[in-house]
Amino acid sequence: MITVERVTQTFETPAGEFTAVRDVSFRVSAGRFVSLVGPSGCGKTTLLGMIAGLLPVSAGRIVLGDRPVSGGVPPDIGYLFQRDALLPWKTALQNVALPLTIRGRPAGETRARAVEWLRRVGLAGFESYYPHQLSGGMRKRVSLATTLIYGPSVLLMDEPFSALDVQTRNLMENELLELWAETRNTVLFITHDLEEAIALSDEVIVLTAGPGRVKASYPIPLPRPRNVIEIRFREEFTRLYEQIWKDLRDEVQASYARATRL
Amino acid sequence: MKSRRATHARRASERLRLTVGRALLLAAIVVAWELGARAGVIDPYFVSRPSRLAQTMAGWFAGGFIYPHIWATVQEAVIGLAVGIVGGVLVGMVFAFFPFLSGLFHPLIVVFNATPRIALAPLFIVWLGIGLTSKVAMVVSLVFFIIFFSTYAGLRDVDVNLINHVRVMGGTRRDLMRHVLLPSALTWIFASLRACVGFAVIGAIIGEYLGADRGIGWIVQYGESMFDSNMVIAGLLVLMVFVATLDGSLGWLERRFSHWKQKPL
Repeated sequence: MITVERVTQTFETPAGEFTAVRDVSFRVSAGRFVSLVGPSGCGKTTLLGMIAGLLPVSAGRIVLGDRPVSGGVPPDIGYLFQRDALLPWKTALQNVALPLTIRGRPAGETRARAVEWLRRVGLAGFESYYPHQLSGGMRKRVSLATTLIYGPSVLLMDEPFSALDVQTRNLMENELLELWAETRNTVLFITHDLEEAIALSDEVIVLTAGPGRVKASYPIPLPRPRNVIEIRFREEFTRLYEQIWKDLRDEVQASYARATRL
Repeated sequence: MKSRRATHARRASERLRLTVGRALLLAAIVVAWELGARAGVIDPYFVSRPSRLAQTMAGWFAGGFIYPHIWATVQEAVIGLAVGIVGGVLVGMVFAFFPFLSGLFHPLIVVFNATPRIALAPLFIVWLGIGLTSKVAMVVSLVFFIIFFSTYAGLRDVDVNLINHVRVMGGTRRDLMRHVLLPSALTWIFASLRACVGFAVIGAIIGEYLGADRGIGWIVQYGESMFDSNMVIAGLLVLMVFVATLDGSLGWLERRFSHWKQKPL
């Protein structure tokens, strides 16, 4: 479970204090898939960074399970970054195996599990490839395997598929849902794409234009298992989309107006 | 499959043409030089003649004259290289992890690095004598800075994303060092290693040239003082072969250790 309580993040900049997120509170129950949507610059990534313990909070409190996040990375979380974060000097297999290597697991077990995870993300046979030899979609799959192999109970995902082409993206969304159906981690998924958020999630939280605050939260009562492509044709999907979009539109316009005024 | 084989064959034939072409070019230069010198078009007093050079060098190798000199230069370059690399890596690491120290020493390092090392050579000879030590100091003064800057940059310019990636999966400082920082620094160090070898030989030769009793630089300097261009050029040729061999083996090593890198298109 992720609890975010009245969290604020301010940065010192040459132009003065900058508030990235203000007074944000929400909760993600264990085993739920929740998406945060908001216009660009609303502090989504900042929020994830704080939950992952990479950034200290300026005010407020974050609790994972029953442990407050303070002074470092909490154990048992996974983070899928927006940009590639694979180590370029390690092969796909070595990258996937790294979390287990770090945990000091025996080499044989580590290797076997890494091979198995590469197979599960559809990359059997690519064990000895280096990241630069793989396509963007394949690198994302390796990243996903690297994050899931150590079974973190909380999974933070920062627009992980935004750099992929639409087809690859939809395939990966479906694969993510399939893997998640088995692992059932608590997922906090960030995106600016409302369709993606609705198709994947149990709940969608809308953030305001920066400084980000929680504007509204919508449960997504669509049945699972879902197919992210086909679910878009359902009437409920359209209805939810319209409803949430009304909220999001104002924020996107506010954010755009601010960006173009600068 | 067929087209791949065809590309392969085309590449091989291109390589062959290049090799043959290069050999012919070299032969043409040597022949033109020899004939020009014999015909009196160019003055062999200044540029010698390939046949005479070959004779001189054959004499050096057969008579054993050259070996102690090559050995002296190799020794200076290799010891200087080793000391410079180890020192550069260590100081680079310390400065990367202690920003205050780095800030403190920064102006000093910039000034030393900007100083032409050839200007230091006489000082090294006065301080350390005409033996091995002054040449090693010369080599170190060149190699150290290259390796220092590479190590420092390699450690400081690591993609923050990579560090966060390993931190989030539970990596400790030691894991970061082993899996992220050191590999990153190593690629930078390897990239500058070839330049270092070149500079190491230059440092050793300059040191020998300015004050020594042996070494390839000494041969060149001795030939010059005797107005013996034949000896000077033969010395330079030995040097060229020596550096080319060294550079070639380093290139091979570099390719072996950077197989993960993307080849430029």
